[in-house]
Amino acid sequence: MKKTIYTALCFLICWTTACKKLDVPPINIIQDKDVLSNAGGVQAYMARLYAQLPIEDFRYSPERGLNFFWIISPFPAVTGEALSRDQRGAMQENVNESPWADCYRLVRDVDYFLENIDQYSSDFSEAQVNGWKGEARFIRAATYFALVKRYGGVPLVDKVLQYPSNDLEGLNMARASEEASYDFIAADLDYAYQNMSETNQAGRANKYAAAGFKSRVMLFAGSIAKYNNITLIDGGARICGIPSSKAVTYFKAACDAAKLLDGKYSLYKKTWAAGDKEAQYQNFVNLFFDASSPENIFVKQYHYPESVHGYDAYNVPRQLMGANGYSAEVNPTLDYVELLDGLPKNSDGTLKTTTAGKYDLYTNTMDLFANAEPRLRATVVLPGDQLKGQSIEIRRGIYTGSSAGGITPLLPAGSTANYPTADIVQSSNANQTPYKLPDGTTMNPAGLSGIFTGDGTCAISGFSIRKWLVPDKPTSEVLENRSDQTWIEMRYAEVLLNYAEAAWELNSLGQNGTYLSDAMTAINQIRERAGATSLTGAGDLLSVDAIRKERRKELGFENKIWWDMRRWRTADKEQNATLYRVLMPFYAANDKKYFFDARTDERNVRYTFDVRWYYEQIPNGEIQKSQKLVQNPGY
Amino acid sequence: MKNRIYTIAACAIALLAASCSKLDNYEDPKETLKGSVIDAGTGKTVQTEQGSGTRIKLLEISWSDNPTPFYIASMQDGTYNYTKLFKGTNKISAEGPFVPLVQTDNTGATVVDKSQTVEINGTKTVDFQVEPFLRIEWVGEPTVNSDGTITASYKITRGTNDPNFQQNVTDLRLFVNSNKYVGNNNFDDRYSTQVNFNGSEANATLNQTVTITTKGGPLPKTRQYFIRVGARIDYGLKYYNYSDVKTVTVP
Repeated sequence: MKKTIYTALCFLICWTTACKKLDVPPINIIQDKDVLSNAGGVQAYMARLYAQLPIEDFRYSPERGLNFFWIISPFPAVTGEALSRDQRGAMQENVNESPWADCYRLVRDVDYFLENIDQYSSDFSEAQVNGWKGEARFIRAATYFALVKRYGGVPLVDKVLQYPSNDLEGLNMARASEEASYDFIAADLDYAYQNMSETNQAGRANKYAAAGFKSRVMLFAGSIAKYNNITLIDGGARICGIPSSKAVTYFKAACDAAKLLDGKYSLYKKTWAAGDKEAQYQNFVNLFFDASSPENIFVKQYHYPESVHGYDAYNVPRQLMGANGYSAEVNPTLDYVELLDGLPKNSDGTLKTTTAGKYDLYTNTMDLFANAEPRLRATVVLPGDQLKGQSIEIRRGIYTGSSAGGITPLLPAGSTANYPTADIVQSSNANQTPYKLPDGTTMNPAGLSGIFTGDGTCAISGFSIRKWLVPDKPTSEVLENRSDQTWIEMRYAEVLLNYAEAAWELNSLGQNGTYLSDAMTAINQIRERAGATSLTGAGDLLSVDAIRKERRKELGFENKIWWDMRRWRTADKEQNATLYRVLMPFYAANDKKYFFDARTDERNVRYTFDVRWYYEQIPNGEIQKSQKLVQNPGY
Repeated sequence: MKNRIYTIAACAIALLAASCSKLDNYEDPKETLKGSVIDAGTGKTVQTEQGSGTRIKLLEISWSDNPTPFYIASMQDGTYNYTKLFKGTNKISAEGPFVPLVQTDNTGATVVDKSQTVEINGTKTVDFQVEPFLRIEWVGEPTVNSDGTITASYKITRGTNDPNFQQNVTDLRLFVNSNKYVGNNNFDDRYSTQVNFNGSEANATLNQTVTITTKGGPLPKTRQYFIRVGARIDYGLKYYNYSDVKTVTVP
């Protein structure tokens, strides 16, 4: 009997344990409540959003898209800032690497955060929650801006779309007008500015980053309103183009947003000294590497070994090449170098290399640049300049001809022909045969960093890039995926330039005020830091070109200029079967001196910007997914 | 044993052969659409370039009100011919260096619609009468100079009276190539002369006979060159208008 009772008891005990509820959320998957109910979880969520932010940084090229490690057709070689052996002409971004889908994925993650964080607001202070909401909307604004600057008006999704859903028609979204798209971004940035705090972790935005971005976005919108000629209307919405009557509104918004940063950020001048060119040069180099720079508004950090890029490996001058065998992908053009002040010039503004039909002779290659503004040396490696303790030797060849009465130019002006082979010794690659000079000493025909006639791994334009290169990186670490310097996506100099340009445009559109003198003040701040001479009066600002030129100089090689050429709608005029120019240093054996030959790109690579590219092609796969998505004109 | 292997092999082959029966037997597209884009003022076709010049836009409305457009590229002489279309009802228009056939106002309402709705079945010819932005005509015959360059004269006139499509001429080229396909997509940049205009500079040269010479020194001798003048106005996608192609023999 007892036995039976015990058996029954056992049985019943077993029964009670079975009462456990089985319908529990999977415990091996992180739940919303694990992430959104504590500050650490929110930080992790934000980290992922920032990591996917579509900005054109060290890991971007128009051929291979965002976040790619192999950058051998660099962005500056598409704009005419530089030449690269791997970039043969103008291009629009590779449509197969379009960020379209990734941007909407990121927007969805932001919308999800915005819709769900309120459920956990009791765990945080109100300011914390609002700050995060502002931050999320900053990220959404930056993401939409990446779309709008490429495609014009895009579908505006501001909530998490449910799929599968009964409302399939609601998922089928048409493109909003370009104007509405810019206004949507502006509203997000305004919200971000109002709700975020003044400071944030490095790499994350604060309220001033939102204001700075707004100045950038509104300047784009104003430029489109003023300069665009392309119209596409779909369902009553102008999805390409903005009415010109809106230009004033947008330029004003750009000015107002830029002003919010007054006194909060400043140009980096830690090691700057008035009148001291060496200090000004060193200051401009340091600006890109000082984590505490008061100029950095929004940055993207890298850290070896978990988050890396290869900028140094791809771009060091040939003689500092690392073990991967890459070098000199970005070679600034003479067109870029000529923008900067302090160079001897011909009456047409080109670099002066001859006098009365004979080449000017220099003892050292650096002598030509002796009076150049310090910003030039900090941006471009000039032939014979110092980098990492070495003199960077850039020489096209040795001129062995007679020099009695001076040397006449090797080619007629404007010629695109090859150099004559008589009287010139040159090298086809880095394995050089030294040439015996008349005095008995020997010299390699080409410099250690080029220029070689058969091997593009050299300074093909006569210059090499300096900006962003870590000045003290040992060659053993000049490797792919070994660089981790910080990308500065927005610095105060850009905000000043945004302000100056918007102010100039407002003045030209007949708006009264101190716009022109304000523009000059902003430009002069930048010129002073750069070591260039200041503008003196309104006569220097008759044309917007003065401001655009300053922008090209200051922000060159920072992956911004292509977007500027597009919004100014000047790209198709600048790049119309255009040959960019290079500067070839030669050593005259009989004179024991150098001369320079300014000529067009020896490869005869011509750049033509197709007008269609002002509005990029939307990937066909996206067009086919939707009944309402309309392609941009001409594709 | 051997027999069995043979039997299995025979069966396998039989099955294999049977599986070859064709099921995807929807008829190939084989309807033809052809025609020309014609300058309504002169009756000549509107010269263009292949690729980024004129294209014919087809909207197949037999099954959807909102179809994805299908484009047919025009040949450089302004004619087109496509022989692999499905049967169906299409709304057809053309895009290129001429006043748009379909225009909308600021609200998106269609104000001009010269597209043609056509039932495609068999061979169909559809021509479009358009107003080109610019008309570029040769004046006389191009000549080979004693220095080995080629000089030609041309005259540019506006092709439309509508001031909305009379923007400034931004640039002009004398395109030179060694085969008959010549235009902005296909030219020899060593010899092709380029003229850029600022603002309204070019207006003074309209309706005038202008002479232009190839650049880059003498052209290589004893061969034929194909030349063409192209110019464009600052409107929309900035399509080039072209003269027709002239053949020049350099002796």
